[in-house]
Amino acid sequence: MTIRNTLRDHGQRYRPRMACLKKAEKVLLEMQDPKTGVKSQPQRLVITTIPHAITGKEEARNFGSMLVALGYIYPLQDHKRLVIKPDASLYRFQTPYFWPTQQWPVEDTDYAIYLAKRNIRKKGILELHEQEQYNRLHKWMNHKWDFIVMQAKEQYRAAKERKKPDRVVFDCQERAYWVVHRPPVRTHTHTHTHTHTHTHTHTHTHTHTQIMIFTQQSIMRPRVKSSVSIGALVKYCATYNSHDPFLSKCLPSNPWLTDDVTYWTLNMPNVEIPTKMRVERWTFSFGELLSDPRGRDDFRLFLKKEFSGENLAFWEGCEDLKWGTAATMREKAEQIYKAFLARGAPRWINIDGKTMEVTVSGLKHPHRYVLDAAQTHIYMLMKKDSYGRYMKSPVFKDTMKKAICPEEHKFSDSQLEQNAKNRRPSLSPIILRQQEQEQRAKMAASAPVDITQVMSKLSKQGKEVPPRPPPKK
Amino acid sequence: MPLVNNKVGDDCTVGTDKVLVDGKALVDSLIKVVACYRHLASCVGGCTDSLQLRDELRQTREKAQKLSVSICQHLTSHLRDKSLPEEQRKEMELLWVAFSSSLELLHIDMCKVFNMGDIFSPANTAALVQTGLQGGGSEVAARALSLPDLNEAQTPTPADGLESQERNTMEKEISQIDHMIDDMEMKVNVLRWMVEPHGPQYADPLSSTDSASLALLSVDEEQPGHQPLCQRSRIFVLLLLFAVVLLAATLSVCVVFFS
Repeated sequence: MTIRNTLRDHGQRYRPRMACLKKAEKVLLEMQDPKTGVKSQPQRLVITTIPHAITGKEEARNFGSMLVALGYIYPLQDHKRLVIKPDASLYRFQTPYFWPTQQWPVEDTDYAIYLAKRNIRKKGILELHEQEQYNRLHKWMNHKWDFIVMQAKEQYRAAKERKKPDRVVFDCQERAYWVVHRPPVRTHTHTHTHTHTHTHTHTHTHTHTQIMIFTQQSIMRPRVKSSVSIGALVKYCATYNSHDPFLSKCLPSNPWLTDDVTYWTLNMPNVEIPTKMRVERWTFSFGELLSDPRGRDDFRLFLKKEFSGENLAFWEGCEDLKWGTAATMREKAEQIYKAFLARGAPRWINIDGKTMEVTVSGLKHPHRYVLDAAQTHIYMLMKKDSYGRYMKSPVFKDTMKKAICPEEHKFSDSQLEQNAKNRRPSLSPIILRQQEQEQRAKMAASAPVDITQVMSKLSKQGKEVPPRPPPKK
Repeated sequence: MPLVNNKVGDDCTVGTDKVLVDGKALVDSLIKVVACYRHLASCVGGCTDSLQLRDELRQTREKAQKLSVSICQHLTSHLRDKSLPEEQRKEMELLWVAFSSSLELLHIDMCKVFNMGDIFSPANTAALVQTGLQGGGSEVAARALSLPDLNEAQTPTPADGLESQERNTMEKEISQIDHMIDDMEMKVNVLRWMVEPHGPQYADPLSSTDSASLALLSVDEEQPGHQPLCQRSRIFVLLLLFAVVLLAATLSVCVVFFS
């Protein structure tokens, strides 16, 4: 049960409405000025006249309708429709106690008391929606019901102490307040669409539809049991624990601690001989292998021996497209198409018909992610097929045998100080990128050998001799 | 043993009955004061806002404050008493729920009056919203303070220093009520879902309803396209015509009779 009017979470959402309400309040106060404000006339009821009723004028109708919808002015006839009509129907200003300011949340208790009072006045004949609300509140606030009934009676009796016109005015004010804040369901959309079009702010229906869309989408999201996901996390931590330089020992020594950069030089992207830990990481998953440049080189070497290097080349081309500059995208996409996807291409990749269709149709209007489907297909192909064979291949075994395991450094304090003094900045990333590009050019220059090319070469060479497949290692 | 127990029980029940009756009386009067305060608060900022209204608000608020302090002490001490028999405890808890709800309503109304006091000052009458009210809240305040008639002669002096002092006292009182609500929640653990109300679901329509006011209010109840005002005046005119026709008929009968 909220005791204080704290709006901790709602403040963020209601702030745009608050600004609109503040402006409306200022205008409303100006309208009260007897000289420059709106002219008012007395309303004639059967027995008395009640002053301060205003009529709607043509040019102010839109703004007036907004004020009515917000609750600053209420109509005297036809109280359920919160609009300003262009006839001589009368309206009155709402008392500041009932103004719709956000600091004062509209409480259900107050609504229950109001309905109980109305029930007393109308001798048990409430409207249908009021009856429904009354029953609902009776169910939810059952423990307070004695209090609500008593408070309603006391408020009714206190109202009888006032003069008759004032009683009428107060009842109209309260009724108008509740028409704004608890509209009957029938006219719900009417008042709220009016508020929406006239105020152009976030209203309750707008945020409610957003919430509904969000919750529907989150229901459709694939869900994982927390036991499964936690198990995966534990497995990940266990696997990578020994490879983390901060959680376990780092060979030869952690450069951040000893200022000795051997660790970094040994683990450079394009080093000839990788360390044992690095090679072990390649066995964890295919993604690890591909993301490590040295591992990718090794994998490429293996695929070259198998004459199926086009898959990796295609995958690398797709990555290039995804992460490259927008200006070169169209060219790259065309090159990739010509090299890998077109019929009779020199390095034709083997993807299923549907993916090929989708990709080719997408290439008519190429964008960054147009080759995503094909790339994923090739990735899974490599992962399921080539990766396994790579792990068992002599290439990998050779690399693993050659991998070094550096000795641990044991620095004395004076040596540590010396290291600290000899700190030097590393190679500039610009230079690194240049080196990378040079290497890529070199690779492209050396003709990559795939089975299609070999077959085509052979078929060109020996037309008389029946083609036999080249010996595979 | 049972005899002794009965005796003690009787004394206890007599004592707690009185306690309950006292508590109920206090809570009823607090509910009445809170209802009157709400009526007075709804006039703030309107065209009947005046220093007198603010003064009435202050007096009503002080009364409510006194009542709530005494009820708080009364109920807290008795609910913390572990030896309270079960039915008495249930009654006490009902009173507790009513008391805390009244305090909440009072708190909200006080905050609203405090904020509106910022915007609307009773001295600057041009800026007040023309709400159509004509009378003040003197009768309501009299009902709240249980006085037969408020002393109209005491018009408060509009000193500026007094206004700011008034606001300070109001702030203090609001925070006092805050603390009271917090303290209550800390000291006494009332399980609200266990509390069952006695009363009826629908408030009984009071026997002394003013039929004239009902008629006036039903005039405001609008069916779309209907003109109840015209209908009322039409009936009035018809009645008048009928009376005139009747008079003419009697006169003509007299003329015929006597000529």
